[in-house]
Amino acid sequence: MSEYELVIGLETHIQLNTVTKIFCACKADSWEMEPNTNICPVCAGLPGVLPVLNEEVLRKGVLLAYAMHSEIRNVSFFDRKNYFYPDLPKGYQITQYDMSLGNGGYMDLFIPEDAGATRRVSITKLHLEEDAGKTKNAGSERLIDFNRCGVPLIEMVTGPDLRSAAEAAQYLTRLRQLLRWLGVSEADMEKGHLRCDANVSIRPVGSTQLFTKTEIKNVNSIENVRSAIELEYERQVREVEAGNRIQAWTLDWDDEKNELKKMRSKETEADYRYFREPDLLPVRLSDEWIQAVLADFPELPLHRKQRFLTDYHLTEYDADLLTTDRQLSEYFESAVKVYGGDPKKIANYLMNDVLRMLNESGKSAADTRLTPQYLADIVKMADAGKINASTAKNLLVKVEASGQAPNEIVAAEGLGQVRDDAAIRAVVEKVIAGNPKEVEAYRAGKESLIGWFTGQVMREMRGKADPKLAQEILKEILGS
Amino acid sequence: MKEEISVEVFNHLVGLAALELDAEQATYLRRELNLQLQVIHELEAIPLEEDLKINAHGVKYEASITPQLRADEWIPYEDVEAILSQVPELRDRFVVVPNIPHEKLD
Amino acid sequence: MTMQLCDTPAHELSILLRKKKISAKEIVESCLERVAAVDGRPGSLDPGENSSQDNQSVHAMITLTAEKALAQAKGLDDKVARGEPLGSLAGVPFTVKDIFCVKDTLTTAASRMLANFRAPYTATTVERMLAQDGLMIGKVNLDEYTFGSSNESTAFQPAPRNPWDTNRVPGGSSGGSAASVAAGEAAISLGTDTAGSIRQPAAFCGVVGIKPTYGRVSRYGLIAFASSLDCPGPLARNVTDAAMLLKAIAGPDRQDATAVTKAVPDYVGVLDQGVKGLRIGLSEDYFKIVYMDAETGEMLQKPVPDEVRAAVYHAAEILKAQGAEIIEDVPMPNTRYAIPAFFVISRVEAASNLHRFDGAKYGYRTAQPKRDLREMYQATRNEAFGLQPKLRILMGMYVSAAQYSEQYYSRALKVRTLIRRDFENVFDPGSSYHLDALLTPTTPTTAFEMGAVYGDSVLMQYADQFTVTANHAGIPGMTFPAGLGADGLPLGVQLLGPDFSEPILLRMGRVFEEGTQAEAWRLQKPQVLRGLA
Ligand SMILES: [Zn+2]
Repeated sequence: MSEYELVIGLETHIQLNTVTKIFCACKADSWEMEPNTNICPVCAGLPGVLPVLNEEVLRKGVLLAYAMHSEIRNVSFFDRKNYFYPDLPKGYQITQYDMSLGNGGYMDLFIPEDAGATRRVSITKLHLEEDAGKTKNAGSERLIDFNRCGVPLIEMVTGPDLRSAAEAAQYLTRLRQLLRWLGVSEADMEKGHLRCDANVSIRPVGSTQLFTKTEIKNVNSIENVRSAIELEYERQVREVEAGNRIQAWTLDWDDEKNELKKMRSKETEADYRYFREPDLLPVRLSDEWIQAVLADFPELPLHRKQRFLTDYHLTEYDADLLTTDRQLSEYFESAVKVYGGDPKKIANYLMNDVLRMLNESGKSAADTRLTPQYLADIVKMADAGKINASTAKNLLVKVEASGQAPNEIVAAEGLGQVRDDAAIRAVVEKVIAGNPKEVEAYRAGKESLIGWFTGQVMREMRGKADPKLAQEILKEILGS
Repeated sequence: MKEEISVEVFNHLVGLAALELDAEQATYLRRELNLQLQVIHELEAIPLEEDLKINAHGVKYEASITPQLRADEWIPYEDVEAILSQVPELRDRFVVVPNIPHEKLD
Repeated sequence: MTMQLCDTPAHELSILLRKKKISAKEIVESCLERVAAVDGRPGSLDPGENSSQDNQSVHAMITLTAEKALAQAKGLDDKVARGEPLGSLAGVPFTVKDIFCVKDTLTTAASRMLANFRAPYTATTVERMLAQDGLMIGKVNLDEYTFGSSNESTAFQPAPRNPWDTNRVPGGSSGGSAASVAAGEAAISLGTDTAGSIRQPAAFCGVVGIKPTYGRVSRYGLIAFASSLDCPGPLARNVTDAAMLLKAIAGPDRQDATAVTKAVPDYVGVLDQGVKGLRIGLSEDYFKIVYMDAETGEMLQKPVPDEVRAAVYHAAEILKAQGAEIIEDVPMPNTRYAIPAFFVISRVEAASNLHRFDGAKYGYRTAQPKRDLREMYQATRNEAFGLQPKLRILMGMYVSAAQYSEQYYSRALKVRTLIRRDFENVFDPGSSYHLDALLTPTTPTTAFEMGAVYGDSVLMQYADQFTVTANHAGIPGMTFPAGLGADGLPLGVQLLGPDFSEPILLRMGRVFEEGTQAEAWRLQKPQVLRGLA
């Protein structure tokens, strides 16, 4: 099967995380709400209603367009796309057709199988539009919920530039990261914030022709996009090898059965009769307005990763991990700045302990009570030997739980590391006196018990002792 | 009279419009369409300048009279039930319509 | 004989109410009595044959909201008794074209499709009228979805008839609005104008009608015909009342992104400023109709009847006598293209606007059990849309199809630019004409007979030839009664002005009204009122 290569273009629909819908004042987010509760006359398409554009949608659109190297048009238009479907209450979708907010653009992808190589994925469409409602089958009927109608979407379409299911998955992973990074979308595929249709065709390797493609719809995770493309690749190869022609079908991904179903061809034929939406005026964006929106445009993940590698001498792996999430990367940098020491130490604390803590609590780096300042304070105390490593780790949890400054906790709970020889010596003697059997075994040659003895001392001292010093004293007394 | 909209084209339009017509209606409507089209063809005789812009609303919307865009503030709609009270078939708050069947891919 | 309250001008009713000379209850009762006397049975979906009584009644109403009006009157009278401040339309009885959504009443669009539709919200315009203490008497008939110029296409029959001669049409599509005001069922009415749908029936029924500048009045709650052309506006028996209503409904609306934010002038306050020094144009392009011969497809030219021309010149004389300057032979060369361009633009928008009526969410749904969605859509739309909506949908589908839209739709929008340019060329203060307004006939003829034109969709459209240009250009237009034709029917004269020139047009209309107070035709009453005690 190696003589066929895949040609893939992805069509993504991105739900913007505005407070309200694109053309009415209903909430944008109706996750887990009862059907048809988050609606109004406008988004339910009642007779006589009119759309009024949400300014925030434009702001988020401009951020994404800029990130995709798309030209931001000073004047763009909304159009009507006319078709009958029960999830579309007006019988037309308000979208942007030929003069959309963004014009062109691209995203550079690192090819996972080929380290160092990049693939430039062109963007052929980037426009704003309204989402439709949700429908579900119930026997011979279809049930419709309009809650989602009017949620702001950006439709973004790539050229046929992707060459494998893995590349498609990589594009989506990068896109999802970018959307969250920019704060324009929650980008959760399972919740439909990020939806992807894939146009798939095959061609003999070496050919530059485009062959008939099929369109895969309704795939709800990056993993499933990958599986669906792989399945469709195999099917198309089978068809071609059997001497059949590929037909321009629309295929529906069945999430339960992990298979593709053909949609009725009747639904897919269409003449949408686009024309300018007369209920809306042209969208006019002044350069000043655009500049103001872009004023705090963030450094993007790939750049930041590159900078982390050079500025902080992190490993490739660490730099990658610390830039998966914008808040995390910003947290890291602030902590490094206050700390002033080896960035690698902050990175280790973050990746080994703080991330685990955040994962468990479901918090983001931005809203943890363990501020970068507190983290730096803790690492500094450990560096200075004021606390030992295990105290430091416990302290992370305590700060997060209480929001108190780490030095206050240390002072209040007496967690400062005990380096006082006499104090430790007294406890060592007490432990030895209390455990004659173990002392006998140790002296008989079971030297591995030293760890156990150290643990006993540390426990007795509620972790405050310098463990190295405790062990030295133990060895000295036990050995005598 | 020239029949620009043939029976075939007409039937295609009827399909696009999600209509179905009896013979009498179809005859009348197709005749009127063709008559109107003759009038419309008058437009083609008008000399238009190369760079003539289209006019979308007549009036000029200068910035000073153009409404501002909507602020992103949630205003819950207070009478959702009144919207649903108009739905011909409603079940468990869902709007019910006949199904659109799927075919499984062989 | 003293004037009945229902025939009293709105601005006088409002004063009488404030002075506690009359009550809101008396006003409403007077209107309801008039409705009972002249309106006949209201329109319904299954009317059967017309009786001879039917043929002599006005039939303006689809839904009489008597109880609501009486309850409102009670509230208003209480307000007066408590000495609370009153709105600008306090005590003014009005009707609403049944194309505006009004919460908790039927909103039918005169279509079977919405015969059972109760809007969950109220149109901005109606809400403003109610907020100004206007009294809603009922919702009146129109051409189905406003698609017509005679009101005969309503699904709610008997169709409205002209109060001046019940064998004649009242015009359309705001036929019920014009007829209800002319017959004294209400003092004012809220209509809509897409090609002349306020001005043409106002002219046919001998009342004042204003199509405001596009964007001057919110369209929220108006069931759309052609969104880029539709304008809500007033119909009234005199210029002052029309100004009062316009003042109440105009202004920005956060629910309509095309409603301008320009401040609303005091239309009533400016009425008596006269016309001294104002420049008014007359154009030969508005004294002829250019239409197509149905048999040969040839374009024919026909001058308007002499009496129509004479009415316009008479109005010019009156205005001139008060100091206006009259400029003849103003070229408006693109006037004749207004109808073909309208055929395209309005159909594209209408077809799209009618997509939402599919039987799923509101209104009519076929009673036939349907195997799949498509069949449900088709049966619903076939059963519930009349011929006129179907015709507009099909034409819209045709001219906006991908392969034709450049040839038709884009071209029509460019022709719209030319029509607009005609006006800019003569209204521009820097131009040699620098007109303040153009004075034209409103319609080529007086009201035609019922059944005479209906069915011929092309000829019917030409009834709007002089009015539709204002819709293309977005500019305001006002019609006012200017005499009676040889057939005893009202003749209307139209003023067209630059964007937002409503105050100027109103002043001109008011000067004409005052200048013709003593003319004999002013004493004539509509036929249906002549026999009343
Ligand atoms: Zn809404």
